[in-house]
Amino acid sequence: MHLRNKLFLLPALLPLFFTGCGPHEPLPAKSGSPVSTVAVESIVPVRSSGHAPAAEELLVPKSAIFMKGDLEGVLVVGAGDLISVRWIRTGRSLNGDRVVLGGLEKGELVVGKYSAAINEGVTVKKSPRVTEEKNTNE
Amino acid sequence: MNEGIAGKLAKQFINSKITPLLMMAALLVGIMATFMTPREEEPQIVVPMVDIYIPLPGATPAEIEARVAKPVERTLTEIPGVDYVYSTAMPDVALVTVRYKVGEDAEKSMVKLWSTLMKNMDKMPQGAGFPFMKKVSIDDVPVLNLTFWSKDKDPYQIRQTATQVADELKKVKNIGDVEIKGGQRRQVRIMLDKAKLQHFNVSPLQIARQIQQTNSQMTSGDFRQVNQEIVVRTGKFLENAADVSNIVVGIYGASPVYLRDVASIVDGPEEVNNYSFFGFAAAAPKGSPSGEYPAVTLTVAKRKGGDASVLAGKVMEKVETMKKSIIPADITVSETRNYGATASEKVFTLLEHLLMAVVAVTVVVGFFLGWRGSLVVLASVPITFALTLLIYYLLDYSLNRVTLFALIFVTGIVVDDSIIIAENIHRHFAMKRQPKLQAAITAISEVGNPTILATFTVIAAVLPMVFVSGLMGPYMSPMPIGASLAMIFSLLVALIATPWLSFRLLKSGDDGHHEEYDITKSGYYKLFNTVLTPFIDSSFKRWMAFGVVGLMLAGAIAMVPLKAVQMKMLPFDNKNEFQVILDMPEGTSLEQTSRVAKEISGYLKSVPEVQSYQYYAGVNAPINFNGLVRHYYLRQKANMADIQVNLVHKGERKAQSHDIAKRVRAGVQEIARRYNGNAKIVEIPPGPPVLSTLVAEIYGPSQSEQIALAKQVKQVFESTPGVVDVDWMVEEDQKVYNLVVNKERAAARGVSAEQIAQTLRMSIAGMDVGLLHTENGHDPVTIQVRLPQSARSSRQDLSGIFVQSQGMGSLTSRLRAGQMIPLSELVRVEEKVQDKSIFHKDLQRVVYVTADVAGATESPVYAMLDMDKKIQKLKVPGGYSVNPLYTANPANEEKLAMKWDGEWQITFEVFRDLGTAFAVVLVIIYLLIIGWFQSFKTPLIMMIAIPLSLVGIIPGHWLHGAFFTATSMIGMIALAGIMVRNSVLLIDFIQIRRAEGAGLKQAVIESAAVRTRPIILTSGAVVIGSVVMLFDPIFQGLAISLIWGGVLSTILTLVVVPLVYYMAEKKSN
Repeated sequence: MHLRNKLFLLPALLPLFFTGCGPHEPLPAKSGSPVSTVAVESIVPVRSSGHAPAAEELLVPKSAIFMKGDLEGVLVVGAGDLISVRWIRTGRSLNGDRVVLGGLEKGELVVGKYSAAINEGVTVKKSPRVTEEKNTNE
Repeated sequence: MNEGIAGKLAKQFINSKITPLLMMAALLVGIMATFMTPREEEPQIVVPMVDIYIPLPGATPAEIEARVAKPVERTLTEIPGVDYVYSTAMPDVALVTVRYKVGEDAEKSMVKLWSTLMKNMDKMPQGAGFPFMKKVSIDDVPVLNLTFWSKDKDPYQIRQTATQVADELKKVKNIGDVEIKGGQRRQVRIMLDKAKLQHFNVSPLQIARQIQQTNSQMTSGDFRQVNQEIVVRTGKFLENAADVSNIVVGIYGASPVYLRDVASIVDGPEEVNNYSFFGFAAAAPKGSPSGEYPAVTLTVAKRKGGDASVLAGKVMEKVETMKKSIIPADITVSETRNYGATASEKVFTLLEHLLMAVVAVTVVVGFFLGWRGSLVVLASVPITFALTLLIYYLLDYSLNRVTLFALIFVTGIVVDDSIIIAENIHRHFAMKRQPKLQAAITAISEVGNPTILATFTVIAAVLPMVFVSGLMGPYMSPMPIGASLAMIFSLLVALIATPWLSFRLLKSGDDGHHEEYDITKSGYYKLFNTVLTPFIDSSFKRWMAFGVVGLMLAGAIAMVPLKAVQMKMLPFDNKNEFQVILDMPEGTSLEQTSRVAKEISGYLKSVPEVQSYQYYAGVNAPINFNGLVRHYYLRQKANMADIQVNLVHKGERKAQSHDIAKRVRAGVQEIARRYNGNAKIVEIPPGPPVLSTLVAEIYGPSQSEQIALAKQVKQVFESTPGVVDVDWMVEEDQKVYNLVVNKERAAARGVSAEQIAQTLRMSIAGMDVGLLHTENGHDPVTIQVRLPQSARSSRQDLSGIFVQSQGMGSLTSRLRAGQMIPLSELVRVEEKVQDKSIFHKDLQRVVYVTADVAGATESPVYAMLDMDKKIQKLKVPGGYSVNPLYTANPANEEKLAMKWDGEWQITFEVFRDLGTAFAVVLVIIYLLIIGWFQSFKTPLIMMIAIPLSLVGIIPGHWLHGAFFTATSMIGMIALAGIMVRNSVLLIDFIQIRRAEGAGLKQAVIESAAVRTRPIILTSGAVVIGSVVMLFDPIFQGLAISLIWGGVLSTILTLVVVPLVYYMAEKKSN
């Protein structure tokens, strides 16, 4: 019988049992990708129609709205001048504006004139004319 | 020596030519069965669940509850086989969900339900609609999702493509339901112009009636002429928008008014009612576009019993061919779910594990018996499994993670019988007391009967698991059935094939030493002589040893209350997906919901392991099994959005899906909270799905009191660490304009309330007035009458809506018929808050507070115990304290009460059933051994080994930082069988030796020495065979139980059982 020699090998298998012990380290989150900046003609805030508070309506210029099929969208200028597409629902027209029924809040900034060249994720620069436009719009 | 059954069988087959033929045949049928058995990931669970919708238009939830929900519930609970009846009374409609006991026949249940419902239709209130029944089954869950997305096309165009593809896919054999999520259907929209309607004196109801009457065509009969029959057909269906616009809807002066005069008619997309988008994320393959694109998802379900992977393969093939024709180049089709692939992968991983386990066991056997011995054992495994797979196929089981797992689980055990037989033959060959054939038969006779007994003890241990009830039953039952079958086959193989193989393969000790075999010279004997003698000789030392073992046992058990080892039903599996369920306050616009969903997706996009995502606002994401039970397919309201998050394949990432879900939770919820929303991270549960991991059901005398208590309980939830995703099923206050009809005025003008209600419904919600009868029938094209969005957004807009007076015909008015009456004259607007839905569970009114656990505690039980103390301290009106209940519903509704449900309910049921099963196991084992040894005392000695396994199992879990789960419990039960078998082998040999005339002490030591090798071999096989399972998140617990319990209790058994036996026998002598 030469088994005893081999038996000592068995404990060598023990470390196998410990595999899979302990929690996994979480991976650190990656930081954002490089962003480019585009200059736009106008950035306008979402305005309120100023009727009685019960019948308040939000307005954006018609030129800011673009269509994707039946979806209506605007380019919203968010924190850090970052552009994002926002899908909205509009109601009736009011002069050069459309009434926004859903998707935007009062005071949010949108690109006044939609351009297909402005992609989601870029930042926009307010060109000097912005303040003028805002004044004329109001 | 008495040959016994084993010896007789061996004698028959050891030299028979039929034996190799039988072996070959078994292998062949097994291989065939493996390929013919359908593969899927989850076991087929039949939980007949039926949703019944009963409309009662205009009724408030309270009315629905009293008039519809309650009577229906009461009758349904009478049906035998019904487990639970839930109901939700919402405004206008009651939803009653009936859940049958697991395993009830789905079709029969439907029939029973239908007949009971019909029998009681007379009890329904006036005005109640016809009940609509919908069976919910596991086969409704899509196995394949294809997301169509495009940079340039809009959702309407994408949906049209998807519809065509769906149409083609329907032709694939064995395909189940094909559905399309997202995008817009084609619709003929009739957008009314209020001003023109008034001008031309046409009312919306009139238009609807005209369209319906025009859109008709029928076969009128036939003429017979000159021996021929000519079919006569009348009318013409509306076939396009032009047909619709040319309908005459009224008369103005002398000229007809066409529909086009009073409305604009558009044949195109329906009004936007959902936003669904697709985007690639951080872990997407290089070169993937970074934006997000309108998407439409096509979901494919399989038929019952079908093979998911085969179906997925066929569908993908078909889609490939369509890429050249139906699918334009600018629409990309991405596979966003393929359960066929995951099922195949799971099955193949498990098969691989199975192979590894078999190889590992063979290597271990090789250490002891040499390569020839290991070959004998190796050959017996495939035969056993082949036969088991055949039975799986015959029993209509599919190859899924549970059935395959049963095989891995028994790998270590099924080789045991062969090992014991082969080892003993090997030993007898080495002893050389008899000629070869005679030696083999003696060897088999010697261990044959205890082996049979031992096999039945193991079967007795695992078989009672069949009786686990509830949803967990189908997850569990293939295990005991598969394992028991495998055990029986392994016994047959050990008694028939192993002797044949051993006789031919094992050498009869021609390796040099020819001296007479003497057990006392073996290493084992020397070892046990030195270890056991001191304990046998000194009773003090013996009691010391028992004391030490007792302390170890107490210490191990103490780890449970000390929370060093926590209990949990099942740990999370490492999946490739999870979902985010977003609930905005009721009344939130679809656009706002979609915006929050988009923002959350934007965050998820940056998570390094996320490959792609889809969000669905206003339409539910394709459901999974979890969503099926949670009714996620009803999530189609404007304030709800689902985000499907697809991770990179688990092989390509380090983090487990559960850890990723935990990591992103804070970020996702932070965004949702910013907009007053509630976001939950929903992972695919490893076991049966429940409403939520933690559910507090609050019962009480009135809804307002229930909600008040629920609010407090919710706060307790929120303030308890480790409790996340807290939510409740109480809707936020939603503004409602109640238009109260002034009845007198309406009567005086000849207008009925119904007319007003219908006109308003048509104007605001729109009304489908018919179908366009088009040539290509992909999606039905409805014709809808409605006011355009711009003319129906505020209270002011109501003023321009008119109804027509019925004139004298109404008998209440003197006005001319057809006169237009403005609605504003007839109704008064009252602003109200929408009534809250009322939930019932088993006839009791209930409010649910739900949550999940993650982080500080992963096991709901500890969170519940934690919160119990806080909940007991809550102040409720009446001054009593609320004691959370655990197992039974409150006896009455007079006092506020709370019951825990959710995962707890299933955990409780499973551990209760497993505990009961374990108790039954102990009794059966006891009876079996009494039958064999004809002693009441000996079985008790043998069963000492069972608690000893705890010494290994609990600290083992602690070492691995694992939960003590249901699978751990299964391991523990199985181990009981294995350990008793070891004791049986030990004591059987002691008795043989004593019968041959050896002294008690001598017999005890000899038995330990002789049986150590087979015991270590068999336990070693179990231990080594289980190592592969350590890496599977779900079966880890079982592996730990088998490995650590196996190692420690084997060592302890070899020392403790002989000692106890010695003690007991000495006394009786």
